[in-house]
Amino acid sequence: MQHTFAHACSSVVEFYRNLSFVLTVALSLAAVSTRAADAPPLDQLIQIRANPPGTAAEKSSTAEGLAFFEKKIRPILADKCYKCHSADSEKVKGGLLLDSREGIRKGGDSGQAIVPGDLRASLLIKAIHYGDEDLAMPPTKQGGKLPDEVIADFDKWVRMGAPDPREGKAPLAKQGIDIEKGRQHWAFQMPKKIGLPRVKDARWSRSDLDRFVLAELETKGLKPVGDAEKATLLRRVHFDLIGLPPTAEEVGAFAQDISPKAFEKVVDRLLATTQFGERWGRHWLDVARYAESSGKEVNISYPHAWRYRDYVIKSFNDDKPYDRFLKEQLAGDRLPASDDTQRAEQLVATGFLAVGPKSHNTRNPRQFALDLADEQIDAVSQGMLGLTIACARCHDHKFDPVPQVDYYALAGIFLSTETDFGTPRFVQNNNVAPLITLPKGADVSDASPMPRQQLAAMRRRLEQAQRTRDELLAEARAGNERPMGANPRLLGATTQIAILGKQLSRYDENGQPLRIAMGVGDRLYPRDTQVLGRGEIDKPGQTIPRGVLQVLSPKKPSEVTEGSGRLELANWIASPENPLTARVMANRVWLNLFNQGLVPTPDNFGASGQKPSNPALLDYLAVSFVESGWSVKKLIRQIVLSHTYQLASDYDARNYAADPDNIYHWRMSKRRLDAEAIRDAILSVAGKLDLTPPQGSPVASAEGPVLQLIRPMPAFGGGRFGGPTTGDGGSPFNSDRAVRSVYLPIVRDHVPDALAVFDFAEPSLVVGNREDTTVPSQALYLMNSASVQKLAEAMADRLFAKDLNDVELGKAAFQLAFSRSATDREIKAASQFFTRFNAAESTKYSTKELLGRAGVVAFCQALFGSAEFRYLN
Amino acid sequence: MNTTTNSFRFSRREALKALWSGFGYVAFAGLAARAAEKDALKASPLSAKKAHFTPRAKHVIFLCMSGGPSHVDTFDYKPKLNEDDGKSVNNRFRGGTAKLLGSPWKFAQHGQSGLWVSELFPEVAKLADDLCLIRSMQTDLPAHPQAFLQMHTGSFQFVRPSLGAWTLYGLGSENENLPGFITLNPPLNNGGSQNYGSSFLPAIYQGTRIGSETRAFGPAMAAGGEAKMPNIANTKLSAAGQRAQIDFIQELNRERVQRDQFNPQVEGVIESYELAFRMQSAVPDVMDLSKESQATRNLYGLDGGSTGNFGRQCLLARRFIEAGVRFVEVGSGGWDQHRNLKADHERNARSVDQPIAGLLTDLKQRGLLKDTLVIWGGEFGRTPFAQNDDGRDHNNKGYTIWMAGGGVKGGLAYGQTDEYGAEAVENKVHVHDFHATILHLLGLDHEKLTYRYAGRDFRLTDVKGNVVKDIMG
Repeated sequence: MQHTFAHACSSVVEFYRNLSFVLTVALSLAAVSTRAADAPPLDQLIQIRANPPGTAAEKSSTAEGLAFFEKKIRPILADKCYKCHSADSEKVKGGLLLDSREGIRKGGDSGQAIVPGDLRASLLIKAIHYGDEDLAMPPTKQGGKLPDEVIADFDKWVRMGAPDPREGKAPLAKQGIDIEKGRQHWAFQMPKKIGLPRVKDARWSRSDLDRFVLAELETKGLKPVGDAEKATLLRRVHFDLIGLPPTAEEVGAFAQDISPKAFEKVVDRLLATTQFGERWGRHWLDVARYAESSGKEVNISYPHAWRYRDYVIKSFNDDKPYDRFLKEQLAGDRLPASDDTQRAEQLVATGFLAVGPKSHNTRNPRQFALDLADEQIDAVSQGMLGLTIACARCHDHKFDPVPQVDYYALAGIFLSTETDFGTPRFVQNNNVAPLITLPKGADVSDASPMPRQQLAAMRRRLEQAQRTRDELLAEARAGNERPMGANPRLLGATTQIAILGKQLSRYDENGQPLRIAMGVGDRLYPRDTQVLGRGEIDKPGQTIPRGVLQVLSPKKPSEVTEGSGRLELANWIASPENPLTARVMANRVWLNLFNQGLVPTPDNFGASGQKPSNPALLDYLAVSFVESGWSVKKLIRQIVLSHTYQLASDYDARNYAADPDNIYHWRMSKRRLDAEAIRDAILSVAGKLDLTPPQGSPVASAEGPVLQLIRPMPAFGGGRFGGPTTGDGGSPFNSDRAVRSVYLPIVRDHVPDALAVFDFAEPSLVVGNREDTTVPSQALYLMNSASVQKLAEAMADRLFAKDLNDVELGKAAFQLAFSRSATDREIKAASQFFTRFNAAESTKYSTKELLGRAGVVAFCQALFGSAEFRYLN
Repeated sequence: MNTTTNSFRFSRREALKALWSGFGYVAFAGLAARAAEKDALKASPLSAKKAHFTPRAKHVIFLCMSGGPSHVDTFDYKPKLNEDDGKSVNNRFRGGTAKLLGSPWKFAQHGQSGLWVSELFPEVAKLADDLCLIRSMQTDLPAHPQAFLQMHTGSFQFVRPSLGAWTLYGLGSENENLPGFITLNPPLNNGGSQNYGSSFLPAIYQGTRIGSETRAFGPAMAAGGEAKMPNIANTKLSAAGQRAQIDFIQELNRERVQRDQFNPQVEGVIESYELAFRMQSAVPDVMDLSKESQATRNLYGLDGGSTGNFGRQCLLARRFIEAGVRFVEVGSGGWDQHRNLKADHERNARSVDQPIAGLLTDLKQRGLLKDTLVIWGGEFGRTPFAQNDDGRDHNNKGYTIWMAGGGVKGGLAYGQTDEYGAEAVENKVHVHDFHATILHLLGLDHEKLTYRYAGRDFRLTDVKGNVVKDIMG
């Protein structure tokens, strides 16, 4: 846990510099010292408390009381305390201000400093008594503990009702963060649609977007290169929009279509395919740190996570307005629904909050809840807002105007939320939760049914485990031993019972899976939470009303009036008034089309992130995105139809010298396909890709720890979950039916090798921008893995089926793999290859035909392995 | 191949000519530098290169203890901390006060040098006279991702090339059949592959990862199986047949580069194939531990339960170094004891102590230690104050790493922390200094080891770094 904390803290310097040591200990009865010195005589307390409200204050306002304050109290406060606890302090510690009556009564992060008449409740009294070391004040550098008689004066003063003439409002403790100043940061100001910039070359632009690009290029003295060739452009837009290469027919049709609308037609066709959602949904799944297991120490499977995956894909295909999409994920359970199907969809959407990594073995349930809320805050803030709010768990954010109290305002929302992740309780899992049952009338897809045989086998196994348990318990009772703990067989049996029982409970009598989903709901008693000093569970302080970030709420934010507050949060995030939301998404879309964002740090728009390379363009995109009704498809369409997107990727020495990273888009950047596109393209070229979405996921029938499931276990269908470790993710390459990569099981720490080797997103982190490495292990994978070899055979068979002569076959292969004709030099190279290959391998094969086939297989594999196959121009 | 290269050169020359006439000197200088650098790389960018001056070390083995091992419980003896156990003092990290936590482990002096080492490292302690302790390390932030990245790349704000990548860029490799920079079992978090990445340096300089803290390598090894690199062998083709296949791939790739005029990504692909091809024979050979004698197995604790995993990694590290790999990082995770210090630090130390001692002894026996710089350390140390009674917090202001071999003085304790070990007070060594010193030991001047990118020269140490000459033998 502590580990997690520290990871979240990118701003630890602030943390140490700023954290107050004043009053960070629990203001709880348990913590109140019972030592006589602190406690006023009981009768006295009773007497004072018996006074009607106001009486103490009246009494305390007497001239005598005020004189006492002026003489005995104020000088000490001014001398010993104001340095750190007054409006003039360079840095206010602990949010505590002692230089006004309101301030001293209100107290700081840990609670009220002075409660008139109540010594026990007055933390300041506790502090100066030095009884509690964590609370001891003043600090050594201010002279340490006060003389006894001074302490006695303070006691007396509080008993008097703490008379205090100091009028004036206590300003909000600054806590070292100036919210107002923080609002100056570019990303916290509303995006503005400014007038189109002037450009010298007025004819170059095809759209307003281009004007913004060109203006920047001209300013930088860069000149855009020429346009991409048609074939290049088609390949580019195919991979970008649907993650698959164009078919030969599509290439031919586009080449022949000379109408000015030819490209636009292609774009519209692609946007309308279901493959579009599979491609763009996966981009979101990177951001949503989607996976089908908990990861971390125990790594327990999440068999129903796939519903969220399918929801995301469907949402992109439906072009669900992005604001709606966000609202559903945050508070789908609180949104009205017109029927059961919509209701089910919205419930599944909240799976976003449930699929994150979790430490299920955490012993302390409160700690687990806090860590879960932290993970949710992290995913929401980085993913939707491009902010690293989780940094403020232990201390004010170091770089951004996010005070710790803001974190706990959000934490209150998530702590008032029940997260339904549904795991069985067993020895390593101390944290369980139910799942959401989807409404009866909903039209939803199902996971695969459990075959009857398997169902029966599982029941038998469960009964066996129950018998074993009963026997062992009986033995233990007979021998007068303590049954649990020491006996590993018993532990094994109870674990099996828990897991098998849970698994069986997910199916009906006939092996039909129940319609259940991961997600969230409001707790019965939502409530605000307390700031935790240093993020530690045993250091609760001031209670913070649930709410949102101050820096992004120039007007007073709407208060949480009902439920957890997720709906209010959702409305605040998915709002045109939020300066970040549209910008962050526009930037994500841009990034996925150009390989780099206008803001290169897509998950961090804060001060420690990078600034936009073209702020006017980003704002333009964000504003038009909102104006379009938050339509992602329209945004994509707008971008790919621009001249900027359709540029060639040609090298230009002069531009390169000035802008080697192509930050200003003087060309299209050359980029490597991502892992899914490489795998899908190989499958597609080999003719082995099945575009039918699968039912559920291979993980859908798995319960319990992933490691246990990876081992072949008869109870789980003889290792049907063995896929993830076999390297190809359920061996889809080896079957005749290979699903698209987006449907491969994503088990944390067991990502299929086919994806992992090409920089798949780490599924425990919000990943807006994948890495791009070039390493020998990729070459080894393409050269030597059995899966790639099998697919090369499939491609070869596909070519053989066409009954072509050698040269034709070679040309067809190039066409298939690269959507273009082979050059003469390539034909020559291929022919040289066959000569050498035959010489080297001839002894292995009994016939010329077999040798010939092996040659073509190796040739096809070489095409998969070439740089061109995995790079887009 | 020759024609390709020549025409590529020619087109660049043409381009340069155009630049002369048209666009001024600055642009030219950038390209000329790139061209010169290409020439310097000769046939392969991994060829061994001449150092700036005579190197003391030729190889590095970095034993990276992620999570932050406690210096005050291992190599930085603080008697006063034990005396004042339980006493409240100012917590300079978080303000307020905190209770000192005396070390649960006894320290003793070892060797001729009398270095203090705690009982957590009984075997390493026997080699005290080989150790050069730097007890005054500092890094910028006490948070894992930042400190871990800074330890590996010098920067946590920007993606920068890693120490191993810079080393490989500076010196090349002595074995063209193996990656020049290998990292075993790195953590997937804390910056992940950035910690062994090449950033703007050519991709071929990035580290090759074998296994990870959570995946494959560890469990496979712990289970007694020998670690293997996935897909290292081709089961279908003869070597000649595969070579023909790869030559065809490379021909396609070169054609691509030629058409593109300049395409470093595809050049990276070309290099990755050549290396992959050679690795196929070299890697299994180097990673085959079966020929190691029982005595060697025992030395590394290979069969010793908890030491087996790390022992295998250390033995692999030696074999890689022996084969000419320039930089090997070996990872041990889980040193982040905010709680359960007693049990978990002990468990961690036990699993690495024997293997580390075995590695040092073995390197010495084989005459490799003098050329090999062994570094042990984590991203930071821990506070002398207690956290959760039986734990310690992060400490970036003062901690210990040690070096051995590779031209450093053995039996030396350099630098000091204060009486409790809270903060370095004498001869402070910042991570930038640490990097400058490592490069210096390798014969590289950290101010001269630069790479031109986006219009300026970058170095590992940015604008900082002082070489700690006092630790050199």
